[in-house]
Amino acid sequence: MSPSDGQGPQLVVEAPTPCPAYPMVAEERDLVAAVLRKDRKATAEFVSRCADPVYAYVRQRLAPRVDLVDDLVQEVFLAALESLEGFTGGSSLRTWVLGIARHKVVDYYRARFRDDEIFCELDDDLRTTAEFPRFDELIDHSRLVEKTRRVLERLPEPYGLALLWRYWERRSAKEMAVETGKTEKAIERLLARARTQFKQLWEAE
Amino acid sequence: MEPDLDFHTLAAQTDATEHALERAPARLKSTIYSAMVQRQVSTGPLLSLSAVKAAGHALCVFEDAVQAIPVSDRVKAMNPCRVCHARLLAERFESPPIVWPHCPYVQFHRR
Repeated sequence: MSPSDGQGPQLVVEAPTPCPAYPMVAEERDLVAAVLRKDRKATAEFVSRCADPVYAYVRQRLAPRVDLVDDLVQEVFLAALESLEGFTGGSSLRTWVLGIARHKVVDYYRARFRDDEIFCELDDDLRTTAEFPRFDELIDHSRLVEKTRRVLERLPEPYGLALLWRYWERRSAKEMAVETGKTEKAIERLLARARTQFKQLWEAE
Repeated sequence: MEPDLDFHTLAAQTDATEHALERAPARLKSTIYSAMVQRQVSTGPLLSLSAVKAAGHALCVFEDAVQAIPVSDRVKAMNPCRVCHARLLAERFESPPIVWPHCPYVQFHRR
């Protein structure tokens, strides 16, 4: 009995529900296809769409090394261009490019922490300070972001990078140790110093 | 209290992937665009300006002139921005005195 003879159970084929994100994904796929065809206007559009989020991300993650931000952002875009054929539209273009940026940032952290000098330069002052201030007392979110950035920028590079890698990139001390070839204890010690100095600067602001 | 706790909270509240408050400088966008186009040129010709126009993009006055003259597609695939003062200004200054429409460098500075 066929499903269409009116006797048996009807086979109902539902039309696929359009995914709300589909128009954007399709549009982004078109944009990527145009960049791959070397359409220069599409390349300009690609830069316009992705530069702000990538810049904001790299700027924050390299807070103690503002001087390196522009070069790293450019590296991210050139790497994205190299692997653009791999963009499937499984995520937004922004998310995909930010993934490349994340890899570049972690590559930088890894390279810096492999350098033994970074551990020799550390301040031995481990005095702890008062309780960490309550962030929710700072009502204005943009002020919180600004203050955090200022403090991270003022920290010595190893401290700032260690905090960013541990808390903003959410890597454990153990993972950081494995990636840099240092001991977990050395990383913990670095983090303890970094937290102390961050708190001191925070309170002094 | 776990010593990490406050830092986790602070990181979550200020993560730039969630709260992108900062915009890239226009001169950086210009530099990135130039570098990408250069990289594209290094692996073969760009899409010709005639094809770019046919795809629905507006061209700047110089690009339009190049695509209109009776020359081969090879010439139309070249990148006139390489020799344009708009690119040089856009890569160096945050508010360069370039104003004509449909120039990518002008658009970076307008957004």
